[in-house]
Amino acid sequence: MLFDVGLKGEIKDHYDVVTVGGGPAALGAAVYAKRAGLSVLVIEKTLEGGQLNLTTYIDNYLGFSSIEGQELARRMKEHAESLGTEFLNAQATKIIVEDEKRIVRTEEGRLISAGVIMIATGADPRKLGVAGERELTAKGISYCATCDGYFFKDKDVAVVGGGDTAINDALYLAKIARSVTIIHRRDKLRAVKILQDKAFSNEKIKFEFNKVVEEFVGSKKLEEVILKDTKTGQLSRLKFDGVFIAIGLMPNSELVNGIVELDESGYIITDESMQTSVPRIYAIGDVRKKNTRQIITAVADGAIAAMHAVEHYFS
Amino acid sequence: MALISEKDARYLQKVFSEQLKDPVKILIFVDDKSECEYCDLTEQVLQELSSIDSKLEMYVYHVKRDKQIVDQYKIGMAPAIVLLDKEGNDSRIRFYGIPSGHEFSSLIQDIISVSTGKPSFFNAEQIEKIRSIDSPVRIKVFVTPTCPYCPKAVLMAHSAALVNSNIIAEMIEANEFPEMSMNYGVSSVPHTFINDKHDFVGAYPENAFIQELFKAVGDD
Repeated sequence: MLFDVGLKGEIKDHYDVVTVGGGPAALGAAVYAKRAGLSVLVIEKTLEGGQLNLTTYIDNYLGFSSIEGQELARRMKEHAESLGTEFLNAQATKIIVEDEKRIVRTEEGRLISAGVIMIATGADPRKLGVAGERELTAKGISYCATCDGYFFKDKDVAVVGGGDTAINDALYLAKIARSVTIIHRRDKLRAVKILQDKAFSNEKIKFEFNKVVEEFVGSKKLEEVILKDTKTGQLSRLKFDGVFIAIGLMPNSELVNGIVELDESGYIITDESMQTSVPRIYAIGDVRKKNTRQIITAVADGAIAAMHAVEHYFS
Repeated sequence: MALISEKDARYLQKVFSEQLKDPVKILIFVDDKSECEYCDLTEQVLQELSSIDSKLEMYVYHVKRDKQIVDQYKIGMAPAIVLLDKEGNDSRIRFYGIPSGHEFSSLIQDIISVSTGKPSFFNAEQIEKIRSIDSPVRIKVFVTPTCPYCPKAVLMAHSAALVNSNIIAEMIEANEFPEMSMNYGVSSVPHTFINDKHDFVGAYPENAFIQELFKAVGDD
């Protein structure tokens, strides 16, 4: 990304493969589809690499014992680009299905037809859905520790959550903030042991177990968090300058709601070739109903979908 | 010690030789060391950068002593960077604070844009729309060097400035100007302010950005 010159060619009216989303799943699909000789357009609304960009270090992607998330994102994009993948920076707003035709409409009204569409919209940080959260987002509440951590230098912050992302965030923030309090609704963390050990031995990190956030309080900016004890129901108020929320993900499947089959949580249901209930529409990566959501499995989804598409629709 | 590694310098040399067209003048405004923690470092990194290609010319000014030129470009803080084209025309692209981390890529991109006259973003139709704005607009984009979405927001604002002489677009490194960031209520980045009153958080796609721009201008 450091020297991404951003020069763009004209976007055509039709591609063999159009991915909606530009994370590892889409880029994996692009690499396999391009090598099979197909034309590929990746439509991404913010930044290619998706959630990779939010992860400081990735230690479990095969071939890299440790790599910065943004660096891995850059390399994946470069790889897809070097094979001739085209990129469009836009928000897809509608998927149109007419017989064999598959069309993506973008916010500015551009219509792009596709041989196959791959929904790779991923998932966004899940919101708590409690009072004050929306009003105080970007006013003390954040979902990106690497982006916003420095605004809380030598201040008191909290991280809500107990999984890998939450503990990673807490460890990152402990380098910047005065104190980091991990608020978790259970009595133990869910994160992998190696991260737990690091967190427990970090003297800046404190824990509030069996607590859920009841409300965020503040007028112009976040001032207090009201916590509720899940066992006793007792309320307590704690002062924080910042709160980082890392309680998992929400699938971005709104775009195909009513078009393809979703499960009760909103994840897209696919067969083992990644195809959805509608032929020529695939779902890959975190947006798909599956057990494991990792970079390595997202890339694999892309490869499987691309190879299936090549065989069934382009040979 | 060189701030730009040999490997990066070689890479930049290639990028510049392939992509630079006309010379670019880089003005940097510094303050006394006691007043400005990152001025020395900013000057050094730009010195190294401009020595990579002969099309890049660097000029250093003092934010308090070189009053005339400071006023001419309405520079309020240091370190500040202003890019001019080969004829010395103001691109209206500003960087306040050291362009480090991800923002270094914004600076490289902007230099290429000023040299070629091609903005990083916007197609012909979008450029025409932005050009229709005929009142003064000042865009501030608050960033941190560790924010991956920020260069996009910065380059979007800078591209708008490049194509319309009524628009000045400033990147502001929030950590270096904590008081200003606090006054603007910035705690998530990228956070863009248009004419100090209309604001949004996040890196928007091109058309969404243009919409925000017009919302702000419409308020005037």
